[in-house]
Amino acid sequence: MAFDAEKEIYKTWRSKKAAQDEIGKMYMRWRQVALDLAGEKANPLDVSLKCSEIMGREVGKSWLPRMSFAKGEENWLKGLTMNYVGWWSTLGASIKAQPGEKPFEVFLSWNRCPWPTFCKEYEVPMEEDVLCCDAFLKHILKDVNVFFNVEYDIETLKAIPRGQGQCLRRLFKVEK
Amino acid sequence: MAKQLFEWDYSSYAGAKKYPNLFSPIQVGNLIVPNRIKYAATEDNLNDEHGFITDADVAYMRSRAEGVVGGLCFMQGVYMDPARKGQGYVGQAACWDDKFVPGLKRIADAIHGEKAIAGFQLMDCGRVGAVEVPSGHGPSTVPQRLRIFKPMFEMTVKEVEEMVQQHVNAAKRGVEAGFDVMEISGIVGYLLSNFVSSYTNRRTDKYGGDLRGRMQAVVEIIQGVKEAVGPDVPVGIRLCCEELLDDVRGNTPEESLETYRIAEQAGADYLSVTAGWQESIVPVISRDVPMGSWLHLAKRAKGALKIPVQMAYRLFIPELPEKAIAAGELDFWEMCRSMIADPYMPKKVLEDRQNEIRHCVACNLCLARLFRDAPMTCYINPLCAHEHDQGFYPQPVADDDKKNIMIVGAGPAGMECAYVAAQRGHEVHVYDKRSELGGTLIEASKAPYGDEELMTCVTYQKTLAEKYGVNLHLGAEVNADLISEEMPDAVVLATGPVYSQLKGVEPGDKRVVNVLDVLGGRAQVGETVVVWGNRKPGIGVALSLAKQGKKVTIVGEDKSAGFDINPSFKWRYAIYLRQNGVNAYNDCTIAEVGDGQIIVKTFDGCKFPVKCDTLVVTEREANEDLKSAVQGEGIEFYVIGDALVPRNLSSAVHDGYRIGLRI
Repeated sequence: MAFDAEKEIYKTWRSKKAAQDEIGKMYMRWRQVALDLAGEKANPLDVSLKCSEIMGREVGKSWLPRMSFAKGEENWLKGLTMNYVGWWSTLGASIKAQPGEKPFEVFLSWNRCPWPTFCKEYEVPMEEDVLCCDAFLKHILKDVNVFFNVEYDIETLKAIPRGQGQCLRRLFKVEK
Repeated sequence: MAKQLFEWDYSSYAGAKKYPNLFSPIQVGNLIVPNRIKYAATEDNLNDEHGFITDADVAYMRSRAEGVVGGLCFMQGVYMDPARKGQGYVGQAACWDDKFVPGLKRIADAIHGEKAIAGFQLMDCGRVGAVEVPSGHGPSTVPQRLRIFKPMFEMTVKEVEEMVQQHVNAAKRGVEAGFDVMEISGIVGYLLSNFVSSYTNRRTDKYGGDLRGRMQAVVEIIQGVKEAVGPDVPVGIRLCCEELLDDVRGNTPEESLETYRIAEQAGADYLSVTAGWQESIVPVISRDVPMGSWLHLAKRAKGALKIPVQMAYRLFIPELPEKAIAAGELDFWEMCRSMIADPYMPKKVLEDRQNEIRHCVACNLCLARLFRDAPMTCYINPLCAHEHDQGFYPQPVADDDKKNIMIVGAGPAGMECAYVAAQRGHEVHVYDKRSELGGTLIEASKAPYGDEELMTCVTYQKTLAEKYGVNLHLGAEVNADLISEEMPDAVVLATGPVYSQLKGVEPGDKRVVNVLDVLGGRAQVGETVVVWGNRKPGIGVALSLAKQGKKVTIVGEDKSAGFDINPSFKWRYAIYLRQNGVNAYNDCTIAEVGDGQIIVKTFDGCKFPVKCDTLVVTEREANEDLKSAVQGEGIEFYVIGDALVPRNLSSAVHDGYRIGLRI
């Protein structure tokens, strides 16, 4: 049978990379559209933060059908974590999750992320990348928290765009 | 003193002797119900866009009223708020003003015309409502999990009080329209179930908090409605016995049972037991759930309550409720889908004509249609929702117009056409090369997860074919010579599909087998199997082989597996494929068949190998055989079912019925 495995894998891998690249570029093009519509008086960071808020909430909503409390909160948190990991991996990041020392605490670390590269290419300030990513991650939790009647938060401890070598974030249950 | 609206004497009916409990009277509130049959309130999307009753709905209800033979017959739940937040279906009846009463009276009169008891249901759809407005209402602002539902916002205390009053006012209008029983709907994600559930009610005021607080709105409605309608009109309620919402921290079964006790204490005269919400991820009523699976919930309710207990939920045969009533585990046999499929089902049970029942196949097409703003349709009953249209009933033909009809194929399309045409007075001959009736349905019904229930269609068609004198010629293959010899006035080709051939595969290649031979147990199948085709036949055979322990992969050209399965059932198959380890390569073709493997080609041209000992063909095409033979003779002829375009059982039955009416 005429079948060259390496050639086919390369073709598939190349398509995936191209798709990841286009996702980032598409975001940057839409960012420019939003800035043009917002006008000169608008602060680009405000526009980008609003976008992160909307996108975060939409992504959070899309996770709701895949999450379940049926096997308890620990498993639920595992599901939430895996959604974060899966979402970023799909976009081309290298991300790992490790449980924290406290109950219901997880550390997410990004050793590679494509977004600072996009920011550089489209001349977007690096700090905007950090703040938008932060807003995006937090807004994912908005509807998740309300829907499951829980209170979780995520905070940024380190960020690649700040030259800290990796992004490190803590996902945790808010103590009342 | 309890009153009886209509006199019914079942003593001379064979069915009443066979099912004495189903046809024994019972007191509900101050009303004597002559039997234990109830057509449960079911939306049908047949009313107009403003909520006024249409002729179609009246005719639909009249047939169901005839079917319950004196029992309870409920019209669909009405929405009660002018803002239409409570409206969950585009064709749902409304009752927020007196102007709706005349239309509602037509329904009550139609039900009474059949000597049945008219039931009226109050239904604010809450979380699954607001079908015509941008947002809905509920006890708390909890985001929707499914995008098809509108965002919802928390009701103020004043709005909750108004909602309670809307129930009371609507109940008064129901009585004015002539209805005999009131029912409050608190199930499947509708507003009152939203109040009851810990999942959707996060309030801290008098309508929230603990279970008593979450039941407060329900209690106020029961008490308000009872006071408004008076002692002669029983007031019942439908509540979940299990919400099946563990994944989102809904009520526990113990809490649900407590809601039953609270409803009874508040004055409910009966309780209708239900399970699950529309959002539940647990299957409740699809064909993969065995019949009678939920009877334990009725038993649990009976143990906790003194008032009569009713339940539907996969009780499709009379033996189940009969036994449960005898055992003191149930009081009423409720039906929704089984009387959508056959409005006269209980009547046929009473008259001991059970083989004439067109059984629901629990496919949930009816629900899928309603959720997508389409009028009610039944997969298996072509007359459903056309009861008002005389053109949909078999009309007798004049003696001069009677024809000698040859139907080729005794599958569901051919047999449906056969009995309808024979019922109209034609002389009908059905030929099939097989020695038994059913066509490819015989093999299709061997797929797992409840597909054996599909064979009820064959029993029904066989009975009616015998009743109307259809001539069966089984084991007889039709060819051009036979057609010339018989020279019928009309020929109907219902020969089923032909199975597609893969390029490069020689006929007789033992690696390639046909789905019918696999499901029929006639083919040798290896341990590693590829199924070609990702529609229902492919999924059915894949699951059947996977359950035998084989490694199965599906390859098909549709973008997702199960394109021909309605969305209300398709999600179940997606789960079963996953659970049974079946990989599906959708949007793909088979580029090559080799020894021990095939090459799959994706839509964008990538290729990869998949191990394969046996390739099962399920892809089908229209059947052109015999067409030219018939056309050449200048005979009136029709092609129906999969022979015309390969589809599903529903299309076969509907094709057959329509052509049976037309010949």
